[in-house]
Amino acid sequence: MATRTKSGRHGWAAVIRTPLGLSAGLLLLLVLLLAVFAPVLWSHQASAIDTDHLLEGPSASHWLGTDNLGRDIFYRVLVATRQSIALALLATAIAVVTGLLLGTAPAVLGRRAGRLVTAVVNVAVAFPGLLLALFFAVIFGVGAKGAVLAIGFAGAPAFARLTQTLVAGVAARDFVAAARIAGAGRIRLLVRHILPNISEPLVVNATIGAGGALLAFAGLSFLGLGVQPPAYDWGRLMGESLNSIYVHPAAALAPGVAVVISGLAFNLFGEAVAKGLGVESIGVTRYRRCSEDSAQPEAPTSQYVVEDVVLSVRDLRVTFLGPDGPITPVRGVSFTIGHGEAVGVVGESGSGKSLTALAVAQLIEPPGQVSAERLDYLREPLLDTPDADRRQLLGTSFAMVFQDPTTSFNPTKRIGAQLAEGAREHQGLTRQQATTRAIDRLRAVRVPAAERRAGQYPHEFSGGMRQRAMIGMGLMGEPALIVADEPTTALDVTVQRQVLRLLESIRTEDGVALLLISHDITVIGQVCDRVLVMYAGRIVEDLPATALATGARHPYTRALLAAVPDLDTDLEQPLAVIPGRPVDPGRLPSGCAFAARCEFADDRCRTEDPELETQLDEGHRVACWHPQVVELGWPIRMGQR
Amino acid sequence: MADTNGTAMSELTFEQVTVRFGTGSRALTAVDSVDLTVPSGQVVGLVGESGSGKSTLARAAVGLTELAGGQILLDGVPLQHRSRGPRPLQLVFQDPYSSLDPRMTIGNSIAEAVPRSADYSRAGEVARLLELVDLDPERASAYPAALSGGQRQRVALARALAGRPEVILADEITSALDVSVQGTVLNLVRDLQRQLHLSMLFISHNLAVVRYVSDYIAVMYLGRIVEFGPAAELLGDPQHPYTRELLAAAPRRGALALDVEELDPALRAVADAEPADPHHPPPGCRFHPRCPIGPLVRPDRELCQTVDPTPDAGRHRHHTACHYAAAALQAVDLVQ
Ligand SMILES: Nc1ncnc2c1ncn2[C@@H]1O[C@H](COP(=O)(O)OP(=O)(O)OP(=O)(O)O)[C@@H](O)[C@H]1O
Ligand code: SF4
Ligand code: SF4
Ligand SMILES: [Mg+2]
Repeated sequence: MATRTKSGRHGWAAVIRTPLGLSAGLLLLLVLLLAVFAPVLWSHQASAIDTDHLLEGPSASHWLGTDNLGRDIFYRVLVATRQSIALALLATAIAVVTGLLLGTAPAVLGRRAGRLVTAVVNVAVAFPGLLLALFFAVIFGVGAKGAVLAIGFAGAPAFARLTQTLVAGVAARDFVAAARIAGAGRIRLLVRHILPNISEPLVVNATIGAGGALLAFAGLSFLGLGVQPPAYDWGRLMGESLNSIYVHPAAALAPGVAVVISGLAFNLFGEAVAKGLGVESIGVTRYRRCSEDSAQPEAPTSQYVVEDVVLSVRDLRVTFLGPDGPITPVRGVSFTIGHGEAVGVVGESGSGKSLTALAVAQLIEPPGQVSAERLDYLREPLLDTPDADRRQLLGTSFAMVFQDPTTSFNPTKRIGAQLAEGAREHQGLTRQQATTRAIDRLRAVRVPAAERRAGQYPHEFSGGMRQRAMIGMGLMGEPALIVADEPTTALDVTVQRQVLRLLESIRTEDGVALLLISHDITVIGQVCDRVLVMYAGRIVEDLPATALATGARHPYTRALLAAVPDLDTDLEQPLAVIPGRPVDPGRLPSGCAFAARCEFADDRCRTEDPELETQLDEGHRVACWHPQVVELGWPIRMGQR
Repeated sequence: MADTNGTAMSELTFEQVTVRFGTGSRALTAVDSVDLTVPSGQVVGLVGESGSGKSTLARAAVGLTELAGGQILLDGVPLQHRSRGPRPLQLVFQDPYSSLDPRMTIGNSIAEAVPRSADYSRAGEVARLLELVDLDPERASAYPAALSGGQRQRVALARALAGRPEVILADEITSALDVSVQGTVLNLVRDLQRQLHLSMLFISHNLAVVRYVSDYIAVMYLGRIVEFGPAAELLGDPQHPYTRELLAAAPRRGALALDVEELDPALRAVADAEPADPHHPPPGCRFHPRCPIGPLVRPDRELCQTVDPTPDAGRHRHHTACHYAAAALQAVDLVQ
């Protein structure tokens, strides 16, 4: 979420830092400098007529030879930079301004006029650009002015379309609606809210567009439709030397090369910027692969080898390499899940809950690095098992349910077929058998009219039904563990209850263990036997769910419990809150990570990180120097705000 | 500070409000002949599942959505949606990450909503509003990216208050926040409402949250209000079976069980029934396919499948839109 809105300036700086961005930027700078200074420095040399050296080849005094009046071609190419670039930029400016006007018109005009403009733009976009340019060139007449207008207007529809798309995207956001409610008029909305938020892609595209305009302009001048003598640009230089191209290839090639290089400079720079800004907004892709972690799993310690253990995790770490060195959002998590046990994980967003689940499911993709002293599933050490075996093991005996069931199904395939697919692969069932089982499993997760439903596509299912189908998919094999990451967060309370009840009955009937991740401590309390409370990538408390209401010891757990309003919350009191905000995994404090927000913190807390240790009673572990033993009196007051 | 809002009456009334989207086979009546009153200076909590039309109702009130029927009145006068100037109604949005312009400082975002005709200085007003929502006025020059979700939601509240509105519509304003910050925003909403005597429509799918801030509660199901009453009374003695279901699903301190014991098949079926498709709402009572005391469980109640209970709601306690509202109590007790 932190990367969702990045200030533009960072993005542009990052662009310059990439090799492509840097070289394109330098090239562009060089071209622009030439455009400004070349005519000042060399126009004399470029126009000096030397009748003794007509149409000569390259020589020491004329590097690229001379033209039919004996003028030095090298200098002429340099001097022509200004004309070529200036006209290209002018044409681009016309294209951008016209495009902006057309593109924003629907937002400013009423609905009906807007639709008309959109239709016109759509037709214009469909026309080939060069054809439009030639058409306008005829209208505006031969010459530089005509060519600029022609290329400008020919480029406008594409910009109009781009602007329309961008505007529509921004206009749909809440802040625009908020400004409307605040009474801002259409023009103000456009200028203050919409344009600033679409400026980056527009600038990028204008840069790329300038490269295109340069080429187009060279084309028109070459054809004699552009710049007219005595003025000259690269296109005209090419046209002039065409007749003698077999005698003096350099004279024709040099302006061509100049066009290509400058066009490339614009294009590459635009692309680099686009890429730079794009990468910046995704954030995660910038993490590079972390250097191999050499932590070798040790021989299993007897303490953890319990008969009925489904999953045993010790010192699990997940590391990414961030811009300022490695960050470890999960730092040393240890827990076990017994046969048929329901374990819940709670914590604020960013506490590492999901990453823990993904690591267990072996779903952390390469830039991320998972290490663990121990990560045993059904007594197989997952980190040391060959890929194929591991996939087979997880494919048949492990199920994962995600928060958003929409994204977990392929929208183009029928639900039944998607359930059957995995079973055919992992269990070697025939198509017939797999389909039968799929229908049976859909029935098991109480999808009404399972046969008919199996033939439907994901979008024909409601959110709750899709979530049930997802659970059904997990039940195609014989799972010993279902990992569910916020399975009900996207659902309504009544539907949420249906799904939780379903998970609960699967667990009790089939003895399947459950690892349930949620930010909602009351959901966890309702479903689970044991609760793991995570904070800043660590488990800070591990306690029986029955102890949650009264026996929580860690200040964070207690604060979380107190912060959730329920139907018995005292209406006379302000709600308890946790002051401050969660720590950033890249900037962990020394000592207890919760210290800055904890009312019991002392000097020791700020320097030494407490270990997760068993407290007074068995099955209750707490990582805190000052575990609270006073029974929770409601509400606990943690200060307001 | 309660100057403009202190004594003025400001009662928001929805009269037979209907909102439709789409045409032809994709047509959808998101809000269907809703009557609802937000009394002056009171908070009405609006609960209901997603897609039931809660947000549409709020957006209609501020003019973001057009009405297909009925009218919305402020103190008995129909609202005209002017395109300029301060509005007597302000809406606070669910997602504080998308409701603030990322390219505008929070001070400017708030200043923009200060009426142009105001006879006080904008900068001073921004500082006052920031202080009102417990933010340091020094932060006026910060961009939204530098704020946490809870802080952004407070800025959004300040912006809504900048127009000195008479009514605030709060649409799921805490559901994008972590529980640890939800509390700060709820406390603030309660303080502000009391301090400024605002009338407020507080929308949330979370009954516990609604209970904490509301004087009255309205329950919405598939575009219709099915029950309305004083908060404590409605929660203590719910009449509509859907309200009872919402209550059963809400968290309760110390209550752990999910009641998975075997139900009789008919009850099981309605308990697991899918929420209705709003494009094809069920005839009669819209809740009947899921109703634990309705026709699928009690075959003698086929009335529910054909006759809409809404017109008769006034006859029941809490304006409950249910033919068997009086009988609801014992029957559901048996189920649970
Ligand atoms: N691919 C990644 N690269 C770098 N950092 C990541 C990556 N994925 C997650 N993180 C970071 O790891 C931390 C924990 O993320 P995780 O998704 O596990 O949190 P969570 O507790 O599930 O939060 P939420 O409740 O929002 O889902 C966050 O700070 C997040 O920014
Ligand atoms: S170790 Fe100290 S700072 Fe950390 S939670 Fe315990 S008391 Fe608070
Ligand atoms: S009218 Fe019938 S179906 Fe509707 S809620 Fe009442 S009993 Fe249930
Ligand atoms: Mg998560």
